[in-house]
Amino acid sequence: MKDLIIRNLSKTYFDVYAGTQVTAVHDVSLSVPESEFISIVGPSGCGKSTILNMIAGFIPLSSGEILVGGKPVNGPGRDRGVVFQSFALFPWRTVLENVAFGPKMRGIGRVEREKIAHEYLALAKLSEAAGRYPNELSGGMQQRVGVVRALANEPDVLLMDEPFASVDAQTRMTLQEELTRIWEAKRPTVIFITHDVGEAVFLANRVVALSKGKVLEEIVVDLPRPRVWDDLNENERFKALTGRVLQLVRTA
Amino acid sequence: MKSFLLKVWSRYVRLTARWPSIGSIAPFIPVIAAWWIVTELQIFPRVFLPGPVEVVRSFGSLVYTGILPEYLQDSMVRLAVGAFWGIALGIPLGILVGLSQRAHAALWPPLLFFQAIGDIAWLPILVIWFGYGLTTITVIIVYTVIFPVVLNTVLGVRSISINMHRAALSLGASRARLLWEVVLPGALPNIITGLRNGLGYGWRALIATEIIVGTSGIGFLMFDARRAGSVVEILLGMIILGILWYIVDGWILAPIERATGQRWGLVTR
Repeated sequence: MKDLIIRNLSKTYFDVYAGTQVTAVHDVSLSVPESEFISIVGPSGCGKSTILNMIAGFIPLSSGEILVGGKPVNGPGRDRGVVFQSFALFPWRTVLENVAFGPKMRGIGRVEREKIAHEYLALAKLSEAAGRYPNELSGGMQQRVGVVRALANEPDVLLMDEPFASVDAQTRMTLQEELTRIWEAKRPTVIFITHDVGEAVFLANRVVALSKGKVLEEIVVDLPRPRVWDDLNENERFKALTGRVLQLVRTA
Repeated sequence: MKSFLLKVWSRYVRLTARWPSIGSIAPFIPVIAAWWIVTELQIFPRVFLPGPVEVVRSFGSLVYTGILPEYLQDSMVRLAVGAFWGIALGIPLGILVGLSQRAHAALWPPLLFFQAIGDIAWLPILVIWFGYGLTTITVIIVYTVIFPVVLNTVLGVRSISINMHRAALSLGASRARLLWEVVLPGALPNIITGLRNGLGYGWRALIATEIIVGTSGIGFLMFDARRAGSVVEILLGMIILGILWYIVDGWILAPIERATGQRWGLVTR
């Protein structure tokens, strides 16, 4: 049971400066079956990060419900792994210790958890960096660590909050290709938040277009895998899909 | 001439790279030389300003009679005991105030208030309460060490990004585990800064307290020497103060800082 169900989710909060009630997320319903990769795409302020923070249990929801594997969300938990835009690696832990952190919290012994960490680091081609500290790595490498740190804990759902927004464009394309490769290897359930329409379509099985806290439309991405940018850049289907999503979020 | 100086300088840089201790001693050579020249020229009467040779001789005789080692030990133990309690109380208090809004609201104003009442300002009332002795000295040191430690710990705890907490929680850490895995290491660079300030202030407060209420220690040595009119011993006491701090900072605090905050990229080198 690794599916995610969102029913009539809303988030309102009181803006102390404006003195008014603000609705960030309005009646969002979404069903993500096990091993599906969905992207939620929309402009800044559309409520996509708020949705992710509610799924992660970082902020309380105002109404509706979120079920992960049939269980309602109540605070953060290891069934939902999170990859942050700011990486949020622990600077005082080596790369290996960062990746082994989740297994450590589960009470797995040192030898076993380091074996797990090495296996995941190899998956992201990071074996060489195991003994280094995060501040000694490039941004792209840091986020690779961020992704495998979340995956090494074997969450039911992987939540990714604009994870590639703060790396350069070339590195971003490499990371996107690597993520699809890792996804195919491990098949986790993924919720991927982004404002980049091309990225959303490239990665996902399904794209959810969001605007002003509401779901506009869900678009199924029927592109074959494995996906690489060299193929998709000229692909007519890819162009049509991105065009469609772009039109949705821009005209909303 | 210029190339000669450059050559000498490059020699010096290479030498200090190989033996860093030379780099920490060499800058004092001109200071001592100037001191020596001034005393040799008899600009001031010898009784008012003795030279380096007399100070070294006085050091030798005070070590020989056992007075200096004993006083030194007394001062160091007092500072260590005071520092221990200052840290043992200061870090948990700082973490509490840093994490809890309520604790912050209740404790921050009194913390600032009592911080303003400097260590020495407590002496008159402490002498009435505890008399001239170790209790008074210890209270003063703990009082002096604790505030920089608490205030910097609070700052450190509050500067940890919320995403650090969130990352640890979503990786399965319990709230209690968070304290050890995130809060303490995240605040550590600030805690060390607080310790550095606290011990520095504590060291000064100790000497001042020993001068006023002490019966032993480096501060007492200096004050006692004044009574006997021995400028040599006063100078010796001052030099020892400087050297001791240099050792505490350079051999204990700085290496800890290099191994933690600097290594992690949380503190710039």
